[in-house]
Amino acid sequence: MIKSFSLIVTDTSPLFTLVLADALDVLLRPALPVSIPDAVYIEATRVHGAPGAEQIVSWINQHLDQVRIIPTNIGIDQQRRLEEGRSTRGLGEQAAIETLDRFLAANPEAEALLLFEDNDIVKRRAIVDARASLISTGDFLRELEAARLIQSTDYILDRAAIQGRNVEKQREANQDATTRERLRQQLSSYD
Amino acid sequence: MKQDQETLLRDYAAGVVSWSTLKERGFADYVAVLGGLGELQLRPPVAPMEGPNVAARERGRTIIRLALQQHHP
Repeated sequence: MIKSFSLIVTDTSPLFTLVLADALDVLLRPALPVSIPDAVYIEATRVHGAPGAEQIVSWINQHLDQVRIIPTNIGIDQQRRLEEGRSTRGLGEQAAIETLDRFLAANPEAEALLLFEDNDIVKRRAIVDARASLISTGDFLRELEAARLIQSTDYILDRAAIQGRNVEKQREANQDATTRERLRQQLSSYD
Repeated sequence: MKQDQETLLRDYAAGVVSWSTLKERGFADYVAVLGGLGELQLRPPVAPMEGPNVAARERGRTIIRLALQQHHP
């Protein structure tokens, strides 16, 4: 019998990789509750022009029995900073740490699994409570591949990059259109 | 794409720099990183099993493996 675990998403990168690959559902395959700290959720869904944002919102709403947004004090600070136009860099990870602390304090028997971006997990020593384990997006996908639940890790990562390129091109096109419109308005003001 | 951005993205795909570094160097969000990788025909990196967190990662993979075995026998 497996113990009680929660999979805590510490950063937007796994969400964007999976949503652009149209593979968010893989997060549910281990049937572990998924916790997304509020600051990570806000960071992921406020990206202007990214179609992934709406899909993330829709996916969470379709799986409220398994996916939860976790309110944190860091999330409150993030809102304040956004309103004041200040930097919010690094707050997603801080909110994940707060989420972890709250989860472990509330559940003395439970354990947490923190989902990280791949290069970060190799380069930095992560906090690790004895009841917290780590997994990267790549490790996660490789386990699914070994269990034959996805076609291949590389396929998903390639798909995310290709779709990311398409999204970026669309963003650039939108930006160009906005710039052209501003220029047109400015020129017409001289008439 | 600017030359310095391309260099950073190539280093990122090769596991030389992290996503945190890309954020510090001006990449606004991970969609921009994925888009840049796609343009360069690269894919996001998969970390080798090394570095300071190996034991915690091994535990993490075991948890996922056991959960998958339990729910997808």
